[in-house]
Amino acid sequence: MAQENITFTLPDLGEGLVEATVLEWQVAVGDTIGRNDPLVEVETTKSAVVIPSPKAGRVVELHAREEQVVPVGDPLVTFAVEVEDAPQAGIVGKVPTEEAAPRRRVRLKPPTD
Amino acid sequence: MTELIERAAPATEGETVELSMQQAINRALRVLLTEDPEVLVFGEDVGTLGGVFRVTDGLQKEFGEQRVFDTPLAESAIMGMAVGLAMNGWRPVPELQFDGFAYPAIDQIVNQVARMNYRTRGAAPMPITLRLPSFGGIQAPEHHGESLEALFAHTPGLKVVAPSDPSEAYSLLLQSVRSDDPVVYMEPKARYWDRRPVRLSEPTDPIGASRIVRSGRHGTLIAWGAMVHKCLQVAELAAEDGVELEVLDLRWLKPIDAAGLAASVSRTKRAVVVHEAPLTAGLGAEVATLITESCFRDLAAPVQRVTGFDVPYPAGPLEPQYLPTIDRVLLAVQRTLEY
Repeated sequence: MAQENITFTLPDLGEGLVEATVLEWQVAVGDTIGRNDPLVEVETTKSAVVIPSPKAGRVVELHAREEQVVPVGDPLVTFAVEVEDAPQAGIVGKVPTEEAAPRRRVRLKPPTD
Repeated sequence: MTELIERAAPATEGETVELSMQQAINRALRVLLTEDPEVLVFGEDVGTLGGVFRVTDGLQKEFGEQRVFDTPLAESAIMGMAVGLAMNGWRPVPELQFDGFAYPAIDQIVNQVARMNYRTRGAAPMPITLRLPSFGGIQAPEHHGESLEALFAHTPGLKVVAPSDPSEAYSLLLQSVRSDDPVVYMEPKARYWDRRPVRLSEPTDPIGASRIVRSGRHGTLIAWGAMVHKCLQVAELAAEDGVELEVLDLRWLKPIDAAGLAASVSRTKRAVVVHEAPLTAGLGAEVATLITESCFRDLAAPVQRVTGFDVPYPAGPLEPQYLPTIDRVLLAVQRTLEY
């Protein structure tokens, strides 16, 4: 397994909002977090929302201070994530896994001829 | 974009190198683009991205945007453009990104590509090779796991081929593109990552020739694409039970190698044809009929078919319930043994 850094940008929070203010980070650099764990609370002109983590990984860098205004699309956080060394399918589908020893339930009776 | 397909080291013709099927097809495309300035590669994401399965990786960089280029998401336009280019002396190698996306292009394929040569009394041959990532097995969403070989094989004017391993993919693509007839080249997605030694050699068998992948005397398993690998697994397991199965890779689904089928089955006396497509009016019916016509007196049992079911191709998690399994093939073999 190799590690790869992935940066998550502030997503479009909907309703034409173009920026958000970071209220409170709920993770710190070095934390290992799961996918969908609470990541950061941000406030838009509409409401305060907690953004869940899009990835499981280790937090490498927080790109915004608390109270800082972040435009949609700007970097928010960088994760170090584990990536498979095995081939990756790319955009669609999964690489089929090969069974070392194919299993079966049916046994054959050899022909008499 | 991460390089998902590492650059294969240059190799000279005839050398043996280890390649995945993706790389083998990539290598064949490079040979074709190099040897013939009229060859053009185009389709959705084949240029800048290098293909969703990395099959055309690096080709645009190597051969330029005039010869390897991206098209709009419009399959009918892709095939229509291929027709126009072919009429003007080019040798188009279009890609339709997935099997299910061939349906929007059926009008161009059936009404123009397949019959232009006939319609013009040979004045406008269609040296088009449609590369079509096909069949299931990668847990993809709807429209990404279809098996359209019967549809294309049923269309007069088209040739249809489905390679089963990297070596086959390499030589069959060379053969397809060099052919002056339109060929539908169906790439088994589930075998794209299959790596094995590939001998980079010129095709030796004529178009339409099948091949025996494993010899046996108690029955013949007939398959193409990813099901060849499945049948080899079955043959290996059957050998443990003392049953020696022959595996015939049909390769060409139009024209079908009737003589090759007859030669094998007249010897083994039993035949099981395996495909992913649904049963009814699938190509297995054609294969079974050809065998019955040529081997009627030799057959120890009726030809068996192991296929997908007569349902729309299911969503990813249900694939294992839909695709032919080792046990389903073994049961069919047992039916021929017990008949």
